[in-house]
Amino acid sequence: MHRDEMQETDLAGWLGDTGERLMPDPMLAALDDLYAIGPDPIATRRAQEKLRETLREAGHEVVYYDCLGDTPVGPLYVAVTERGLLAVQMEAEEQGFLARLRRRTRADLVRSRARTAPVFRQLEGYFAGQRRAFRLEADLEALSGFQRRVLETAQQVRYGQITTYGEIAKRIGRPRAARAVGQALARNPLPIVIPCHRVLAADGSLTGYSGAQGLQTKAFLLRMEGAIMY
Amino acid sequence: MDNGSAPTFESLVERHSMEIYSYLWRMLRHTADAEDCLQETFLRAFRAYPRLRVDSNPRAWLYKIATNTAKTSLARRSRREASTGDLQEWGAEQHDDSAEVGERSQLLATLMSLVQALPHKQRAALLLRKYQGLRYAEVAEIIHSTEEAARANVYQALKRLRAEWRRQEERYAPG
Repeated sequence: MHRDEMQETDLAGWLGDTGERLMPDPMLAALDDLYAIGPDPIATRRAQEKLRETLREAGHEVVYYDCLGDTPVGPLYVAVTERGLLAVQMEAEEQGFLARLRRRTRADLVRSRARTAPVFRQLEGYFAGQRRAFRLEADLEALSGFQRRVLETAQQVRYGQITTYGEIAKRIGRPRAARAVGQALARNPLPIVIPCHRVLAADGSLTGYSGAQGLQTKAFLLRMEGAIMY
Repeated sequence: MDNGSAPTFESLVERHSMEIYSYLWRMLRHTADAEDCLQETFLRAFRAYPRLRVDSNPRAWLYKIATNTAKTSLARRSRREASTGDLQEWGAEQHDDSAEVGERSQLLATLMSLVQALPHKQRAALLLRKYQGLRYAEVAEIIHSTEEAARANVYQALKRLRAEWRRQEERYAPG
């Protein structure tokens, strides 16, 4: 065989271009020594972490979401950002959840069990009757100052207790804004976690609940917490 | 989520940042420079992403940006080395006293400088094909050539290295 031809066959085998078995070649072996292993995994991880930071600073945002399929109130979707919990939604269809989420954020939406697991663990604890308070950061950044104040105040209503729209209005220093408080709570992006179900009309009637089964869900949650008997 | 549209930018970061980093490290053989180039590659990609065509191959697109970024970085480094006599990282990473290993690392250092001296396209094509495991069609897209030219670049790189290697061997051969 011609020398050049032999070389070519040999290289093709090494490159994986053919199934040819190759003669041991010190230069190719040395190339493998230099390049086959690749970079140090620790340096790789560090570079990737720095990349995340750089991209965040450049305005790249990711929202992670997933679904807890089987809860007493039906399928429950949650979404989290780097800042905290962004959405909780009782929703049968993923498409419906994503469509609403897209109206709120331009971030990339990525389904991830790992990122949402802490939220689901707490929700499961709540439905099992073992958890009475959520320890979760809320990402309410996109909301108006008024709505945020209403939600933060509603968050202080404890498990098993109830209050009224008027009472919340008073607590935020807007005693005449009970109706606006009701509207802000109706648009609560984090139902259950921010317990808007514990806020009732002045006469104690169960009004307005945004969840899928509406008032039924509100009554169910209050019964479960022992706040009402009927 | 999968509604037939392009992948999210996030999924590109998730799927490809590790392999792009390993490629940049192989191209540059310098941890800090590779890290900088990784940032720059994905920043450029992030800005250009809205204009990325749905039918394009995002992996090859990222490799293409990385290849250009590495080229700029290498040019910057050779200016830096020319002015300061900066030592290559590889030389600094070797700490073995035994004569045999010393000789081996000498050889490897020599080979690495031969790889660094290859034309940019040839070096890129070789590393992409052999160590990043890409197909020639993908290599062609990345170095902006035909598939035949991509293959030719890989073989030319190897033949050139082999010829240089033989010359080195002869120089160090006893007698």
